[in-house]
Amino acid sequence: MSAMNTKTATSMKRLFPRLLCVGTATAALLLAAAAQAAAPGIKGTSFTLTAKPDYISQPDGQSVYSWGYACTAGNGSAAPSTIPAPSTLCNGSMQIPGPTLIVTEGVAFTVTLNNGLPAAAGNTSILFPGLAMTSAPTGGAVGLLTTEATQSSPVTYHLVANSPGTRAYYSGTQGDLQVEMGLYGAIIVLPATAQTGPGCHSGAVAHYVAPGNSAEADFRLASSAYDNPRSCYDREYLFQFSEMDQNIHETALAQVTARSGCAAGAAGCSLEVPTEPYHPSYFMINGRSMPDDMDPNYATQYPHQPYNGNPHMHPGELVLLRIIGQGRWQHPFHEHGNHVRILGRDGNLLLASTAAGEANLAGPLLFTTTTTPGLAMDGIFQWTGKGLNWDAYGHKPGLTDPLANLPCTPDANGYNSAVTALNYYEWCQDHDKPMQALPFGDVAGGGPVTLPDPNLFTNGAWYGGSPYLGPDATVRATGPTGTTPPSGTIANSPTGEAGFAFMWHSHNEREITTNNIFPGGMLMMMLVDSREFQIDESN
Amino acid sequence: MLSSIHFSRLLVGSVLCVSASLVGAQSFRVQCPTSTVTHPSAPDAEPPYIGPTYTGTSGYPSTPANTNGAIKCQQISGGDGYATMGDGTQTYMFSFGPLSGLTDIANGLPGTEVPSVFNTLLPTGVYLAPGDPATTGLGALLDAGGNPYNGAVGLAMDIPNLVTIYDISVSGSTVRVVANAPLGVKVGDMVTVSGTGTPYDGTFAVTAATAVNPFFAANLAFTYTDAAAAGQGEITESTTATAALAARIDGHVDPRPILDVGVMNGNIPAPMMAIDEDDEFFLTLTNVGMIMRPDLFEQHTVHFHGYPNASAFYDGVPDASVAINIGASFTYYYLAPDAGTYFWHCHITPPEHLQMGMVGQLYVRPRQNRVPSSTTLGAALLTQQTDLRTACRRPSDGATPAVTTTPDLLCSNPVPAVATTATGGGKYAYNDGDGSTIYDVEYPIQIHGFDPNFHFVGMTFNPEGFSDMKDKYFLLNGRSYPDTVTAGPLQTVAADGTNHFSQPLPSVINITAGQRALLRISDLDVTEYQTLASLGIPMQVVGYNAKLLRDQAGNNLYYTTNSITLAGGESLDVILDTCAVRSTLGNPASSCATPMATGSYFLYTPNLDHLSNDAENFGGLMTEVHIN
Repeated sequence: MSAMNTKTATSMKRLFPRLLCVGTATAALLLAAAAQAAAPGIKGTSFTLTAKPDYISQPDGQSVYSWGYACTAGNGSAAPSTIPAPSTLCNGSMQIPGPTLIVTEGVAFTVTLNNGLPAAAGNTSILFPGLAMTSAPTGGAVGLLTTEATQSSPVTYHLVANSPGTRAYYSGTQGDLQVEMGLYGAIIVLPATAQTGPGCHSGAVAHYVAPGNSAEADFRLASSAYDNPRSCYDREYLFQFSEMDQNIHETALAQVTARSGCAAGAAGCSLEVPTEPYHPSYFMINGRSMPDDMDPNYATQYPHQPYNGNPHMHPGELVLLRIIGQGRWQHPFHEHGNHVRILGRDGNLLLASTAAGEANLAGPLLFTTTTTPGLAMDGIFQWTGKGLNWDAYGHKPGLTDPLANLPCTPDANGYNSAVTALNYYEWCQDHDKPMQALPFGDVAGGGPVTLPDPNLFTNGAWYGGSPYLGPDATVRATGPTGTTPPSGTIANSPTGEAGFAFMWHSHNEREITTNNIFPGGMLMMMLVDSREFQIDESN
Repeated sequence: MLSSIHFSRLLVGSVLCVSASLVGAQSFRVQCPTSTVTHPSAPDAEPPYIGPTYTGTSGYPSTPANTNGAIKCQQISGGDGYATMGDGTQTYMFSFGPLSGLTDIANGLPGTEVPSVFNTLLPTGVYLAPGDPATTGLGALLDAGGNPYNGAVGLAMDIPNLVTIYDISVSGSTVRVVANAPLGVKVGDMVTVSGTGTPYDGTFAVTAATAVNPFFAANLAFTYTDAAAAGQGEITESTTATAALAARIDGHVDPRPILDVGVMNGNIPAPMMAIDEDDEFFLTLTNVGMIMRPDLFEQHTVHFHGYPNASAFYDGVPDASVAINIGASFTYYYLAPDAGTYFWHCHITPPEHLQMGMVGQLYVRPRQNRVPSSTTLGAALLTQQTDLRTACRRPSDGATPAVTTTPDLLCSNPVPAVATTATGGGKYAYNDGDGSTIYDVEYPIQIHGFDPNFHFVGMTFNPEGFSDMKDKYFLLNGRSYPDTVTAGPLQTVAADGTNHFSQPLPSVINITAGQRALLRISDLDVTEYQTLASLGIPMQVVGYNAKLLRDQAGNNLYYTTNSITLAGGESLDVILDTCAVRSTLGNPASSCATPMATGSYFLYTPNLDHLSNDAENFGGLMTEVHIN
């Protein structure tokens, strides 16, 4: 471990004084270079999954025996195409959540399930709530809820989605155990037709290209979530919520080990794992607990947990959230920063009973999207800073810095219309409006607030270094005063990113812990980034 | 990655800004200005809403077209305290306590005050006692005007600020003073110049707070007009000349009363905050430390839960912003967002600080409350559409100019699809434009849960476990039944032997038969979902997550139910209508033809195991609704 990392570990302890036993490894992971998320998966019309055991890792150092779905090469193509297919994609090892299956509305597809679980685990199957079967499953054996894959006979499900949207798939056999063990995943159904109209972008939204940055690629799977222009979006993220009771996993492993080699179906070749009382102590988003969820997709240190939760966006972008409740508990997922406009549930767009042009969305605006097992929802999040009553970019006319003098040219709605400007989508009514009466850096004069002496407060690891958005404004605000960008802001560099960080987390607050350690669990930091900062979701 | 642009700017900046040392001379302080860009004058007024603050697409530096809302201020302490549970157990909390609006808080009201009340001192010679207002007695604390004392605790006249003058000169009748340090004046301040031995001496009104000069930075100089000084010679490097501001209220505080009152003075729920749309809200959090946990050096923060388009800086998440240390104050600043029922809480180690009690109520009243009774609500909401900050447009909504597309996917208050003739003058939950959220009385109700084991461990120096957290006290406004129906503030003796008003807010609901009550329900339980059911009075849900339940085409999506279920981190607005039959069916503002029977009704949880107070198999999440 380098001296720099050691120093950082010390400062993390200072920032989280109640952190009970964070290791230096955990602190180092928090330092990982910006890794963004998207909603990667495999796209095609024919998928073959194999349920099989392996171990997943948790940030407290635990390796937990689990069951997940594996795919092998030839299972569709990696999507979105702008994320290079990693070598670990469909390499035959199981993953939690299972591979995200990306299909198109109205296009029939098949999912073949092989049973690679230990013989004592018995059969397994997959439920596809909300999808239509085009014909009865083939192969396998009759089960209670659906046709099941036996140790020797795979089952193939023949399916079609009649509407776009996000949905869950999960085991339909002894679900209290098999879903707990990790047999769940997501299906993203893309609309049949690309949408056009206001707010619908055919490519990536224009991005102000700061020195050293290149234009941003388009990481969307489609231009809209549904067959409706009001569901168009600029970025998308998929979050699957689940929890884990380690006792169940340990008991399952003990019984599987004790009965290894037994013949499937033979007397005694079964598991009797109690799934009640239920005391989960791991609370995961996309199979990972914080801070692991903020590491890259397909990160090599999590070979069985490929998907992350690390959303980034620029002001004004329409960001599609695909949220699924897996597991067995509800989790109130609180999005800091703004409300989420719910578009639809389980692939059903919520529309007003009376249409008024395009103004026909009827889904609620939620600041807490409460996840429910078996329920998927799609919603749009957007952050603009409208109504703060101060200039979030810290503009100040008269300075020599041209970026402090940028104009704000309002469109009909009052947002800066200059698509290629750094402050595109700035809320123009607050342009140049100061926040502080006494000087804070050189952004001075007339504002209502006086900020405290920097010696009186503690900086957060994701603090951008000033109240303002972006490295230019932050350096302008802090540099000349001699205070310099503050220390300890290791995860959101004041001179590099300086985004506005918002915590997205379960508001059953005890679930933002990892096996009794805070912070952890169902928690991630969402970054609204200045357009000086290039968001690259491909890493 | 310091680019050359940055580097050159740093050089320029270092020349320009000699005065950086001005920041924050004091650790504890409050902020409650009487004039801002948005509210240039009359900071107390909450004028009738006649038009938007800015009608166009641009704002600053234009003067507001209409002044809307007021300036509101509040001070709270972050620290610890004790509360009394339904079975009589004294429970330790990490908690916020009131440091403004003490009398209002003790009376179950918000501690949010206008500047003229917030900036009020106690009479000379009157001092607050530890535990106040419980110690001195509710109603016994009066300000100098004989009104109930609701000022900012600790507020004191600042000492006269005095600087030595480096140079004083006059051009025409404009006198320019260049001081050796910033005096911190603003236009209109009265400055006393003395020690020049010339006609420069005297008291004058500042006309410019900064002045370019050959000597120092512009903010070390100011100007004023004095005809009598015309023709005076320049005086430089005088050894006697000074410029001074008189003692004044500028946010300076005396720490002693803050510690006397703020320590171990926590409330559950934390001090209530209520503001009106268009208000500027200055919330000062003063961290007095947790005296029972000297091993902790915890910061505290305020998260304004649900604020749309929040800034990361004022969002209260310590990881994403700054957090105030013990012994200092931080002032949060927000322009009031859309009307609705929000709530607030500390965001430091949330599973611990929320469970331990750092949760409070916060709501924003709509502009519609300020619409005069001569104006139809529909017309008023159409007028609001010219304010782009709050507009929620759709084609053919009747507002001018017409739009062809909707501007904002996340806007919250479209014009109703069905116009009504309802006029203003009432109290409303939202800017509904049709009068459908009218109410007569409002009751903020916060659901919470305490795990006594966690609170016991929290008082010791041992680490707490999180995953086995199990609530055994189920609280409505910090009280379990039967305390929920006890009138007035509950008090608890703290570790220093003094009584403190620990739970100021009853949750008994009193409604005159035929009237409508708005319940602003929020849930900050950190472990499980809670259901609240109504026996006998239907619950009409009109808002959810601080938003009117209305689709983008303007159709109301209200629903009537007998129970609501909330997770921690959710809020919901319920109207209890005690009128069985209105004189005009479907018009909630019409007179009541047949009221419901008077008597006691109940709000209770059908989570039957939550109808308990720890070992007592009676109590819990229940309160009474009295129809009188």
